[in-house]
Amino acid sequence: MTIPQAAYKVLEAIVGPDYISQDPIDCEAHTPGPNGFETDLGVATILKSPGCVIFPSTTEEVQKIVKTCNRYKVPFIPISTQWWSGRGAAKVEDALMIDLKRMDQCDIDDKHMFAVVGSGLIYSQLQEEAMKRGLYTTIPGGGSQVGVVANHILYGSSPLNYRTCIANRRILGVEWVLPDGEILRLGSCALDKDDYLWGEGIGPDLRGMIRGFSPGWMGSMGIVTKMSVKLVPFQPDKPMPVGISPDTAVELPLKRINWYNFILPSKDALVKAMYEIANAEIGAGLTKVPLFWRAIAKANNKEEFWELWDQESEETVAAMNVLRVLLIGFTSEKQLEYEERVLQDIIVKDLGGKQTRTKPTDESWVKNADSASMWMMCGGYTSLEFDFEAISHAVAKGVDCSKLKKGYTPPLMKAYGDQGWFQVGDYGHLALFEFLTYQDPDDEQKHKVDEWSVALSKMNIENRYYTAQLASHKPLFLTGPAYGPDYHKWMIRFKEEFDPDALSNPPGPADTDLFIQEAEWMQKVKDWPAPKIEANKNPKFE
Amino acid sequence: MKDNYDINNYTYDMDRCIGCKGCVWVDHVYMPGVRYGVKCPSNAYKLFDGYAPMGREKIGKALLEGRIDYTPEYLDVMYMCQLCGACDAGCKRNLDLEPLSVLESLRVKAVKDGKGPMPAHKKVAQNIAEKGNRYGAAEKRSGWITKDTKISDKADMVYFPGCSASYVEKGIAQATGKILNKAGINFMTLGDKDTCCGHPVATSGMLDEAKAIARKNIDILKATGATTLVTSCAECYNTWKVIYPKMLSKNFADMGYQVIHLVEVVSKLVNEGKFTFSKPMNIRAAYHDPCRMARQGEPWVEWEGTRGQWGILTPKKEYRRGTFGVYQQPRDILNKIQGLDLVEMPRMKENAFCCGAGGGVMDAYPDFAMWAATERLTEVQSVAAEAVISACPYCKKVFNEASKANNMNIKAYDITEIILACM
Repeated sequence: MTIPQAAYKVLEAIVGPDYISQDPIDCEAHTPGPNGFETDLGVATILKSPGCVIFPSTTEEVQKIVKTCNRYKVPFIPISTQWWSGRGAAKVEDALMIDLKRMDQCDIDDKHMFAVVGSGLIYSQLQEEAMKRGLYTTIPGGGSQVGVVANHILYGSSPLNYRTCIANRRILGVEWVLPDGEILRLGSCALDKDDYLWGEGIGPDLRGMIRGFSPGWMGSMGIVTKMSVKLVPFQPDKPMPVGISPDTAVELPLKRINWYNFILPSKDALVKAMYEIANAEIGAGLTKVPLFWRAIAKANNKEEFWELWDQESEETVAAMNVLRVLLIGFTSEKQLEYEERVLQDIIVKDLGGKQTRTKPTDESWVKNADSASMWMMCGGYTSLEFDFEAISHAVAKGVDCSKLKKGYTPPLMKAYGDQGWFQVGDYGHLALFEFLTYQDPDDEQKHKVDEWSVALSKMNIENRYYTAQLASHKPLFLTGPAYGPDYHKWMIRFKEEFDPDALSNPPGPADTDLFIQEAEWMQKVKDWPAPKIEANKNPKFE
Repeated sequence: MKDNYDINNYTYDMDRCIGCKGCVWVDHVYMPGVRYGVKCPSNAYKLFDGYAPMGREKIGKALLEGRIDYTPEYLDVMYMCQLCGACDAGCKRNLDLEPLSVLESLRVKAVKDGKGPMPAHKKVAQNIAEKGNRYGAAEKRSGWITKDTKISDKADMVYFPGCSASYVEKGIAQATGKILNKAGINFMTLGDKDTCCGHPVATSGMLDEAKAIARKNIDILKATGATTLVTSCAECYNTWKVIYPKMLSKNFADMGYQVIHLVEVVSKLVNEGKFTFSKPMNIRAAYHDPCRMARQGEPWVEWEGTRGQWGILTPKKEYRRGTFGVYQQPRDILNKIQGLDLVEMPRMKENAFCCGAGGGVMDAYPDFAMWAATERLTEVQSVAAEAVISACPYCKKVFNEASKANNMNIKAYDITEIILACM
């Protein structure tokens, strides 16, 4: 499995011999799986090893590589960290994997509070560089190890978005190598390629087109090589790292930053608390805590987690309405004192909540987010349902997801009726809902997890729930006709226009459709019309 | 009895890698920024994922499944790694998989399959077999001993200097002897039975040969009647404390001897006020944590059991996560020396970047070893230090060579030399 040798020679001339390989050993190492985000699901059956791996270091090199791919008709797939391993993999043979890790640019404009970042930069690096300058970004649920550019395109959800808004709204200027190798610049850099100050530019705002629908094109619409992202003013005392692995955390300057944990008497009270905190315009982060995360935090290993989790019941889970609030005295210590008093009034005095102990440190969200620990409990994990809507929507959807899940447990981990993770964002103007899926990849019934994914789509359609996962985990030709109108047609039209030869991560955005078409066990749940998907061609909707 | 070097015992660990690259990145809590964000030397040197533990696990799995075969590239991937264990501490921060054992076992498999180790490793093994030292030196191993070093005929503590301090960095062994003398601690050596610990043989995957050396050395130690072995070398420390019991499938606690590094002896005395420094040393220096004493310094804990649903282990396993390595002791010592301005590098303790010399890399891939040492020295420069201090002769040697080759004007010292100069 290799790419045409004439193409290889051209590519080698672009980056130099040290930064390209078609050796099967190197290609095997860049093949996702067998476990990781999504690769413990059935979609892994359509993933292929790349035929070649290349590491460009500049936009010009990316541009030349993509043009070479067009000349020799070599399919390509860009990756920054390959963390979303199910999508960061070729679905066709002999593809070129363009690994962007060398492009780790991070130029911060302190005065105007933004960073121009390359595709290889990860969040913890950006956060450290930002905090050195009295600024911060939000570490997303995807983890500190995810690429800043890719995650901003996707969503960048975090409890800290409560104050800063979701990350994709903090995208400013963009440099984008289209599937044919031409460069498109968005925002202020459309007028001056070195001016990344602002997201607005001439003509229509095309930032929505980067994302396609919801979590982006996953590499099937070219490569964003550079992006400026908004940073937010922090308080002056930098949290300092403490501890030895695995117990590392940042020590909080407690007069300026503090986490507060509360147990509310009911879910209604918890929701009301979220609204009231937002209404009072206090706080820097806000989240309900899924109970299994508490057990992860308490356990010293997988076995201890299960000892704790097996003690739970539907009653204990229903009673455990844990709210976690981050306060930051951005302007002064007095701001923190004030917000703390307001918080106590709302939760303890008005809603009957009880404050519990918190550590004087932060393990997750300020500098770090341990997404990798999501695999600790069961060995398998994928987030198969999330969205941004209103909190009432999140609450109702959580109830239905929980009911539906029971039919798929096992192989899903028993959750005792847990109704998902939700939190408000944008000072209460929206809410993130996420229903986490944990499963044992060795379970004989593991294909039921794939069925569960489709069942969630059907539940959303039937109950008219919004879902963010229209064309990522979910079949485009099931969700497309139901949402939109016909958003799938628009996506395919865009794809055909910009990438007529289907070279940029084909068959995106219909790779889930390809998996469902190919997987024998999915035929019993596939009851919607769809065209035949070919891995190396753009999907058709007629 | 479980074979701790059988790759088939680690298929779960290879299979369950999720690609988070916790094996590559510095712990995100300690992430120093864009520069120095990677702690895996081989993946910093070669960007291909095959040179990261996560990639090696995929390649190893493909080999076991018959999808790939041994090639020169495969052997480079498996041997171009210091086995520094940064990956192991990183992975166990969240997932408790065993990447270091996977890498070691893939080398053992390569040797068993007649494909490994690399030619340079075979030469070192031959030197050890024929001359009892990795250099093939014909001279006596006791050449480091000076007239003013008091060595007892019989003592409860044996000083095991190792090959480097016996032949190349003799000043380290000499300093160790004098420090122990000053502390009033009686010690003996293994005399004419002193030989290589076998570390290079074990790390190259030559398990049978390494086991034979282990058994022989353990018998020699037992015959002395001593119960404590003190080292001034991180590799020897690790070999006696971790590799021997791991190879012999025993808990370290059941080995019948204790292993301590000189810094553990001195720091205890310093903290108790029983060892003081009378001379200042006006120097701004960074301490480099030697991998095999720091994040790999926890004693071996044997585990045998089964894995069930969700991957649950019965019985529970006590993990070596690098938490209780020798980190603070050398810092306690250096902080007591007047005039010595001790500074931390961005990558430190369990996230430290290896000096580059370990795991057979200096023998088989000297260019890579020098590159890694140079990369580490840039980190010394980044904190404006004029010297780097370690507690392993191999770190000192490669740092000094890299400094000289690159005109970096950074001095590398072993901590024993610093202690001796200031006492």
